Amino acid sequence: MILIAALAIATGCEPLEKARKVLTERDDHQTIKLGILHSQTGTMGMNEMSLRHCEVLAIEEINASGEFPKLDFVPVVKDGRSRSENFRRRARDLADREKVDVIFGCWTSLHRKAVIDELENPTDLFRTDPSNAKPNSHHQPLLFYPLQYEGFEANRNVFYFGSTPNQQILPALDWFLSEQGGQRKRIYLIGSDYLFPRTANYIVKKYLESRSIEIVGEDYLPLGQRDFSDAAKRIEQAAPDLVLSTINGESNFHFYQDLFKQGIRSDKTPVLATSVGEDELRRIPPEFVHGHYAAWSYFQSLDTPESKAFVRRFKRSFGLDRVVDDPMEAAYTQVMVWKEAYKKAKSSDPDKIRAVLEKGLEFDAPGGKVKVDPKTHHLYKKFRLGRIGIERQFEIVYESKDLIAPDPFPAFAFPGWECDWTRGGLIKGPVPNIGL
Amino acid sequence: MFYWIYDIPSVALAVLITGAFVAFSWLGTIFIRPILRIFLRKRADINDLIGYMLSCFGVFYGLLLGLLAVAAYQNFSTVETIVSKEASALSALARDVSGYPEPDRTNLTWLLRDYTRYVVRYAWPAQQKGIVPQEGNTRMIAFHEQLIRFEPKTPGHEILHAEALRQFNNYLEARRMRLFSVTTSIPGVMWSVVLIGALMNIALIWMFDMKIINHMFLGGILSAFMGLMIFLIASLDNPFRGELSISSEPFQEILSHLMEE
Repeated sequence: MILIAALAIATGCEPLEKARKVLTERDDHQTIKLGILHSQTGTMGMNEMSLRHCEVLAIEEINASGEFPKLDFVPVVKDGRSRSENFRRRARDLADREKVDVIFGCWTSLHRKAVIDELENPTDLFRTDPSNAKPNSHHQPLLFYPLQYEGFEANRNVFYFGSTPNQQILPALDWFLSEQGGQRKRIYLIGSDYLFPRTANYIVKKYLESRSIEIVGEDYLPLGQRDFSDAAKRIEQAAPDLVLSTINGESNFHFYQDLFKQGIRSDKTPVLATSVGEDELRRIPPEFVHGHYAAWSYFQSLDTPESKAFVRRFKRSFGLDRVVDDPMEAAYTQVMVWKEAYKKAKSSDPDKIRAVLEKGLEFDAPGGKVKVDPKTHHLYKKFRLGRIGIERQFEIVYESKDLIAPDPFPAFAFPGWECDWTRGGLIKGPVPNIGL
Repeated sequence: MFYWIYDIPSVALAVLITGAFVAFSWLGTIFIRPILRIFLRKRADINDLIGYMLSCFGVFYGLLLGLLAVAAYQNFSTVETIVSKEASALSALARDVSGYPEPDRTNLTWLLRDYTRYVVRYAWPAQQKGIVPQEGNTRMIAFHEQLIRFEPKTPGHEILHAEALRQFNNYLEARRMRLFSVTTSIPGVMWSVVLIGALMNIALIWMFDMKIINHMFLGGILSAFMGLMIFLIASLDNPFRGELSISSEPFQEILSHLMEE
């Protein structure tokens, strides 16, 4: 080593200088593992792949930025296989074996709840060495969740980056009930049969109770359903002036196809979707969806320099034919927000990160400014309503003026429930009958 | 144990190893030679005797180094062939996939792109550290799932699908062989023999009785050559490590092609 250093200094030779650096600085670099837990295989694999890509993009950008010259953030990717049991097992792997302090992941509420439960109450079956496990000795990373969801949930160790119903579905309904939206009076609710659609529609019905709006029908079909012809007939017979769809996944293709075949068109009976983004649209022929609506916080067509730069960076990294949508933007944002918190906390320790986030951290995301709500661990976000164009992109027809505060427990739907992590945490009220 | 040598540029590594051998030889000539001379200088024919022993020893040691160099080169070349076979199968698979109808074409292309990007950005650097990359397996399962979900509706699609499945299997085989090669290297015990042999060789040189300048010059040349040989073997050993390693370039080419699809 002395020889090489002497030679490097004496000759000024570049390879020798590099060798000197390798020999003297090789232990001077740290790595921090960041857990990514999404389905890579199974029914949710294709959807969740896009989220994973955005999280990886964010990590790669942080590493490339030079902001932390002696640190490498390493994504540790695990496959949930679209099954709750697997999400549990992989979450345990990430916590116990990989010792990550944060997990970015999940799509469906079912998987999120499984992961939260596993992180809080480790199953012996999945523990690395259950015989040595002392009670409450488990390492508990934070979970960052990127999807819009039904609300009615609060957890000290979870940060929610998607919209709650009061930031997505309810403002969209307000728009359709207004003059600008056609003053709709007859609404048909249709959704996949699982937690999110049931809870979301429960909130919608409670929200509309005090208004003179008629719910003319309510349908739930199994997740993955491919035949919507009967449902389309029922919709036609009910003659609604708005269909609120909480159908999720690949079923959307068949739903819009059968509506089209039934002669239901967007000019008379628009569909307002809560789970159809640009990534889902690429699988649906444009004629089936043209003119229908979707409610989100972010659309790829958002005409701001930040959004355009984000789209450009994503396409450059993952392919020119790729599109970005709201959950993807949220997936990217959550990693960046964690990074900001890490910078302030100077540690990846979950308690320290949580403490920084609970001070109400703000961040300029591709979709605009967002702010962590210290009380609920959700985000203050904007609402945007998009109409589907022929190019499989959304034309933004409405945008909320300000950021909307998250409310996972709207009082009209969940009386007695409140959440404030800065003052005592979650106060539980009576459990409502959602119909699950 | 000495894997950090692969982080050093080849030129510097050659200088480092050769320099270390020469320095060791010179230090011995200066400090150990006088002690050895106390025991050996009484014999008049000592240089002939040591010369004879050194040439005998040199034959065996030279053979060992030569065979090791050839074995390391052959291993390097075999792994290079495996990688190029794997890249060819992947490229053929990408071409087959581009003939599928939508939405399968896009799904399969994206999955293949996801996998190839992983190989270039994460698997290759891991291999360069001697780690067998595992995450690619899940990506291959995802691709396979999507591939077998396709139901051909025309005779043309049937042929295309059969060919894609065949290419996929070829690819899996080559990939498995690459992963097996990540940790192939000359066993530690062999390296020990090589290094002890080199030490003995240099120790024999210290025993010559001649002027110190001549001694240092001749000993330096012989040690430098041994250092160079060991540098060559070390560079060719561990085919995925160091500057002289198998690059991910064939995969990079496929990735840039897939990115533009």
